[in-house]
Amino acid sequence: MNTSSSPSTAPLAQRYGSGAVVRRIEDPALLQGRGQFTDDVQPEGQCTVAFVRSLHAHARIVAIDTAAARAMPGVVGIWTGADLLAGGVKPAPLQLPFPGSSPARLPLAHGVARFAGEPVVAVVATSAEAARAAAAAVSIEYEVLDAVVTPEAALAADAPRVDAALAGNLCAEMRHGDAAKAAEAFASAAHRVRLSLVNQRLAPAPMEPRALLAWVDAASGRLHVRASSQMPTAMREGVAGTVGLKPEQVRVVVGDVGGGFGMKTGPSAEDLVTAFTAWQLKRPVKWQAERLEDFAAATHGRDQHIEAELALDASGRVLALRAHTLANVGAYPSSTAVLIPLLIGPWVITSVYDIPVIDLHQQAVLTHCVPTGAYRGAGRPESIYVIERLMDAAAQQLGIDPAELRRRNLVRPEQMPYTNAMGQVYDCGRFEQMLDQALALGDWAGFEARAADSQSRGRLRGRSVTTFLEWTGGLALEENATVRLLADGTIEIFTATQAMGQGIATSYAQLAVDIFDVPLERIRIVQGDTDRGNGFGSAASRSLFTGGPAVQVASRKSIDEARDKAAEALEASAADLQYRGGRFVVPGTDLGITLGEVAARQPDGVLRVDGRAAASGASWPNGCHLCEVEIDPATGAVEVVAYASVNDIGRIVSPQIVRGQIEGGAVQGIGQALCEQIVYDRDSGQLLTASFMDYAMPRADGFIGFKTAFDTSVPCTTNALGAKGVGEVGTIGATPAVANAVVDALVRAGVSAPRAQAVQMPMLAPRVWAALHGG
Amino acid sequence: MARLHCTVNGSPCDADIEPRLLLVDLLRGRLGLTGTHVGCDTSQCGACTVLLDGQAVRSCSLLAVQAEGRAVTTIEGLAPAGELHPLQQAFMNCHGLQCGFCTPGMVMSAAALLAETPRPTREQVVSALEGNLCRCTGYVNIVQAVEEAAATLAGPTA
Repeated sequence: MNTSSSPSTAPLAQRYGSGAVVRRIEDPALLQGRGQFTDDVQPEGQCTVAFVRSLHAHARIVAIDTAAARAMPGVVGIWTGADLLAGGVKPAPLQLPFPGSSPARLPLAHGVARFAGEPVVAVVATSAEAARAAAAAVSIEYEVLDAVVTPEAALAADAPRVDAALAGNLCAEMRHGDAAKAAEAFASAAHRVRLSLVNQRLAPAPMEPRALLAWVDAASGRLHVRASSQMPTAMREGVAGTVGLKPEQVRVVVGDVGGGFGMKTGPSAEDLVTAFTAWQLKRPVKWQAERLEDFAAATHGRDQHIEAELALDASGRVLALRAHTLANVGAYPSSTAVLIPLLIGPWVITSVYDIPVIDLHQQAVLTHCVPTGAYRGAGRPESIYVIERLMDAAAQQLGIDPAELRRRNLVRPEQMPYTNAMGQVYDCGRFEQMLDQALALGDWAGFEARAADSQSRGRLRGRSVTTFLEWTGGLALEENATVRLLADGTIEIFTATQAMGQGIATSYAQLAVDIFDVPLERIRIVQGDTDRGNGFGSAASRSLFTGGPAVQVASRKSIDEARDKAAEALEASAADLQYRGGRFVVPGTDLGITLGEVAARQPDGVLRVDGRAAASGASWPNGCHLCEVEIDPATGAVEVVAYASVNDIGRIVSPQIVRGQIEGGAVQGIGQALCEQIVYDRDSGQLLTASFMDYAMPRADGFIGFKTAFDTSVPCTTNALGAKGVGEVGTIGATPAVANAVVDALVRAGVSAPRAQAVQMPMLAPRVWAALHGG
Repeated sequence: MARLHCTVNGSPCDADIEPRLLLVDLLRGRLGLTGTHVGCDTSQCGACTVLLDGQAVRSCSLLAVQAEGRAVTTIEGLAPAGELHPLQQAFMNCHGLQCGFCTPGMVMSAAALLAETPRPTREQVVSALEGNLCRCTGYVNIVQAVEEAAATLAGPTA
């Protein structure tokens, strides 16, 4: 007998609410080519800006001749750094909550260019072709100066200085922990493990390059901006500051965003210049970055060089962690670029392990490279990579199973809330529970049989186990939501978090269905309009964890307010009314009124209700990822052949979406481990990886056979929803999981541990081959 | 100026164009078919993929005049208005898209594959999509979606 209810009669919340697998509300438009990405908006009379970029990593700008370009057909304006200064634009200094120094940045280089690709001149013309042609006619005379592109070289006493006005290239540094206690621990430790690690520079590379369209709104005289941004409010502040307007004189609207991954968090220099030229010209001006422009001038991620060591007792308990990190933050680091290596990374470096003593020295170093910024994980992937590589090296040295070594060091549930050595408080977590489930899911015990099978095919198999956590929230723990009940029955919800492809609108809509008990189609989620609401935007996996509770609060409040108004309309007591399926009814009668009818009775046909929620602290998504790789010994090529993960992201609202976040994120992490790297020429400072021909992104022929599971038994306690955030977990776990599996395969093949551990990411075939065969 | 005669999504397109005009700029600019996207400068990402007489081509690397006398199909013309092609439906069912920027190119590459190879193997699906970059999904659900669409289009096996 079939006891399951048919879909047509199941309650709405069960079918469409949180926890249900639904089709995303974002999808129909995107699948039919009706998406509205920034460049899809093509207003009448639109001009295009093209940038002339520095050919040199470091050069004095001697002279700029724009006369020929100005005479080109279609050109309507040309700006240099000097023109920006004359127009009142002020160079932006680095703003940090601790001492630090870097060159103040003008959005167009003035006097000195500090990385190859830095915008120097902006040319605005009536068409993209005309702008490009005129840009090519701009003549710039440079005096080429010596450049430095690695942090080690940049700290040398005689290194070329990124800013001659500064004493050196050290931008900022911090020390964390207790050096004396660490020295004691290392002196008395039974075992010491040391690694030199490179967390290479990466390109975030969302498929939609940066884009911005700005125009002066004829009716209001305000500057309107349409941008591809994760942070509309930050864009508004940046544009207003550059153009010389008050924030309320600028409206930023964001439509579809073709991926962000942290790279679209703040306004870029080109964004600011584009908005400035539109205001000057009083004409619509668009900038659509080419891919080359994103590689050469959008923020990069990672780029940390780390010396790290662990002290362990005879039983494998970690006594202390010591690390010295050099972070190459490029030429004009933002505060984010500096906070990532100096604070955010250290917050999680002890991860899920109970490590009592740390001694960290973090240095952010200026170089003639593109400034770094947030990239999926932003500091957590770098730190988790360090501790996970160390744990595997320790397991190898002590002859302990890597899963067992981790188990001995995990923070236990009874230690929650747990304060780590950086003073960060984990509200909850059952790390051993994740480990045990993952070992089962990935069949850790059955590895030897699979390794034998690989060997029979001439392949070298390796495995890894990665237990880890991360921090979310971006320190922006408060969020607002506005519900507007419309007369046609639509329930419109606005939040200032920002969709960038992650499907947050669907998740919000599912939460709203839980409360309003209406079909998903009745919910309309609106984001990306600074005239309607402002906030931090979307970054640090914060949107659902902060915005979700705000949506819930505003939704509940709207039903409460609508109930009072329904009671008036029905001449009944509010307490007597029952709410179901978008309608209030007087029990025992046929009297009732829908939300839409309530809205229609309001003066403007809309019932508007604001809600606010705040998390009490960060959240700590965590998990355990198992990876197996095969190496072809003839070529050194590495292939991921198995990947199993158990993830604790707290409560799950949209099962299909979170799986997509974990697995898509893991492929980005695999990309870092195996193929992606930004390369600068050490002598000239030229970028050598400026296209998808040179920068190897994972393609469809990579690994897709993920086993992904979730454990929802440990909801987050710092927010009402219980969600922990899922945007970055997959990426953070995958990089060390793959790298450790490669090292394991090499060691199993007879390569000495130090030699295997010296292979740096990306673990390209030639590097792996060299470790196997010498050379 | 050159005179172009072709069809785009079944409708005739007669236009005076500059000989250097790229097909993608004709589609996105003059014709307002903005579903076809540009994700790179080097024909590496596949976001601009359209069908030319049924073959998947990079519209960023073709001159519009090369479409002379031929039929161009973009994502907007894959299914009749208001309907979803089985590939579009499968991408939705399988969560085969996140930001959606690569999606039109992905779908058009898959459409060309399925037209030629109605029952592709996993290897053939992966191979057909190797020229399309996606940064969000890790390709997992995209491959699944193409396989689901293939099953729908081909019907039950004999």
